[in-house]
Amino acid sequence: MSNTLFRAALDTSLLLCALGLLWRMSTWYRLRIGPDVRDLTLVPRLRALLRGFAAALFTRRAFHVGVALFLDVLLQRRLYRSDKSRWLTHLLIFVGFMGLLLMHALAAVVALKMFTGYESTRNPYLFLRNLFGSMVVVGLAFFLIGLRRRRRHTLHAPMRRPMDAAFVVLLGFVLATGFLLEADKIVSPQVFYRMAKEFNGSADPAELKPLRAFWASEFGVAFDDLTAPITPDLLRQGRAMHEADCETCHAGAASAFVSYPVSRVLAPLARVLDAGQAPTWLLYLHVFACFIGLATLPFTRFYHVLAAPISLLVNGAALGRSLSGAGRAVRRALALDACVGCGICDAHCSVAPLARHLDNRYLLPSHKLIATGELTRGRLLQPGHLTTGAGDAAWRAAEGAFGCTDCGRCTSVCPVGLDLDDLWQSGRADLARAGLTAPAQWVQARPALAWAESLQRDFWPRSFFDPDARDAPLSANRSSFSRCVQCQACTNVCPVVAYSTDPAYGVDLTPQKVMNLLRLGMRDLAMGSRMVWSCATCYQCQEHCPQGIRVADIMAELRTLAVQRLGAVRSHKELS
Amino acid sequence: MKYALFLGCKIPSRLPAYAASTRAVLQHLGVTLVELDFNCCGYPARSVSRDGFVLAAARNLGLAERVGLNVLTPCACCFGTLRHAIALLDEDAALRVRITTALAAEGLAWSGTVEVEHILPVLARVVGVDALAGAVRAPRTGLRVAAQYGCHTLRPSNVARSDNPLAPTIFEDLIRLTGATPIEWPLRLDCCGDPLHGANALLSEQMTRAKIADALASGAEVMCTACPHCHLRFDGVQPPQTETADASIRTLLYTQLLGLALGLPAKSLGL
Repeated sequence: MSNTLFRAALDTSLLLCALGLLWRMSTWYRLRIGPDVRDLTLVPRLRALLRGFAAALFTRRAFHVGVALFLDVLLQRRLYRSDKSRWLTHLLIFVGFMGLLLMHALAAVVALKMFTGYESTRNPYLFLRNLFGSMVVVGLAFFLIGLRRRRRHTLHAPMRRPMDAAFVVLLGFVLATGFLLEADKIVSPQVFYRMAKEFNGSADPAELKPLRAFWASEFGVAFDDLTAPITPDLLRQGRAMHEADCETCHAGAASAFVSYPVSRVLAPLARVLDAGQAPTWLLYLHVFACFIGLATLPFTRFYHVLAAPISLLVNGAALGRSLSGAGRAVRRALALDACVGCGICDAHCSVAPLARHLDNRYLLPSHKLIATGELTRGRLLQPGHLTTGAGDAAWRAAEGAFGCTDCGRCTSVCPVGLDLDDLWQSGRADLARAGLTAPAQWVQARPALAWAESLQRDFWPRSFFDPDARDAPLSANRSSFSRCVQCQACTNVCPVVAYSTDPAYGVDLTPQKVMNLLRLGMRDLAMGSRMVWSCATCYQCQEHCPQGIRVADIMAELRTLAVQRLGAVRSHKELS
Repeated sequence: MKYALFLGCKIPSRLPAYAASTRAVLQHLGVTLVELDFNCCGYPARSVSRDGFVLAAARNLGLAERVGLNVLTPCACCFGTLRHAIALLDEDAALRVRITTALAAEGLAWSGTVEVEHILPVLARVVGVDALAGAVRAPRTGLRVAAQYGCHTLRPSNVARSDNPLAPTIFEDLIRLTGATPIEWPLRLDCCGDPLHGANALLSEQMTRAKIADALASGAEVMCTACPHCHLRFDGVQPPQTETADASIRTLLYTQLLGLALGLPAKSLGL
């Protein structure tokens, strides 16, 4: 391969990688998630970075960082706890990849300096290269199998970007061309003659006949002109030549336990491959695929090899301490990058059944994280962005964010150790600021009468059967409230009514008036009332009703109706 | 005595002491607890979707049914929600079909065999007040305690079926056996205010503060709770207890009070 071309390609991809990394990492200092960091400028954030670095390296916290580096980054302790089979997958790819990177790709910089007498075609290096390569291949296979299985068993698989899939394909391609290249070099007479010329001084087939015979039988070179019978004597001569010129650098080809079997398949094609200059273009494909991988690293799934360790180390440094505002800002933005999209959080999510039922993936952590990022970047509120198939994506994201029960499981299982609790809290505050609030807020932001009028403009077919009968059977069935005698027992025992002493927060109706609205057929007016939305569901009314009316249950039903029906006629601009 | 322990969402993340003291006390009393991969009880979804909330609850019941265990929860709201879901599944055949179909997709079933219990009735009736009284080693004599029932342990009474909803005594009985003195306080059956925290924060705070003031005025030293929502709510509105000691009240989970009386180490109770 031409040296200038190689250097130019390497330098270009390194430069692209560096620029990409700078761009991606700059978001850690540009994005502002959460109202508590909205007014932070760049300077304190950079200062927090330097202070954090200094503390991590030169104080007692260096110990925690060291522990995090070893246990969390290298051994992936958190992933081991959460999912053992995926830990194995990760370990195979990680160890194999790092082995290939250090021993093979960076051989000139690392292996040659660290191991005296390093030679890529000697053992253990020849064997190890095949071992590392096969570890990555097996790891990738496990990864794809796991992905298929998860896709089949979960309704909302973690979101995958095309760039992530492209990277897996690229990695597979690098591995495949690597093994093919090695196999082709084993069988190639062309490569044999080139090496013989360099180390034996001759490229004459006749002169090299004993060595050719020896290499054909011991190393699997596929000469098609080796016609004469190979006698033991010829082989002895060949061995002598081999010992003189080749042996110091060559271990048996069978040590390449993947490439050698592949080379047996290629052997019949050796002449064709040589004629087509296969060793050269396989090398180009292999090396340039690596360069493409390097150049695009900041924008593929592989970016996590940087963002995830940094996140884990930040956690190690911050262990047991509360971060400054600047520190929190950086950590939240970093979380958007460090999320691998593994979906382990989704599998443990407490509201996953609800996400399935409402068909809203934004209730699940991995999707919520994406929505948080989109909101911060100002994209969530653009119409048509992040379409979910049903309804406005921004409101779906809000439904997801406010449907979270803060159970903290996602944070405790996250293999990258993201403080998701903190991210959800700040994300909700940002949503609320954008006018996307929880139902209790957006319903109460307008008077009940305004909602009822909006509903009247919005045609709602109710001629033959009541559309609410399925989701709110008590409210839709007259017999469940028609016995109300307006005695006010419910109102008298209601703590919400009792403490409604100030019109600023007091309720607009009383429970018995809500029942009366239902009796008058004014369900649309009742469902948007502050009384319905300020009901504590303490069941005092229901327990005390002399007519056995399920007042609190009806209130709860009316709230679900409001979410459904008022949700269809709301717009966040009006409500913010 | 063996139950599937349902901790819900609040306890593990916000009130781990309740999980620790529940396990410590029940283990001490010979009750075996099994942990299952439960999800949210469905309570937060009650204002969003009726089917959604019942499905969430029923999935938990299905998990318990699969291992043939009844569910025990220390949370009044989880208790109320799971029981409420059972009541709705019993009364609404169409709902039952929709929910069991959804569960079947996951290989789960609901056939109504699983019972859901709150920790107070289990202690009072299954373990038994007498057995508990006999196990007390360090009575908390003289401690004046206000019993905070938690609405959903009592109401609606046809669903909760734990005690007389208008004049319950179960919590006071359980407090008395620890040697402490349950006090009479007018607002004891009122809501703690927590459910309104998100919907009407000012009103919610009024309700909580009124209860604290009422308990203090009635001579309570300690507010004893049996629900993480009540407990966290009282702690949440109070200033740090050293500052204005006269306006705040100490909160104690019932499992902690009982654990102390049983002579269990404070550390095992999260104290």
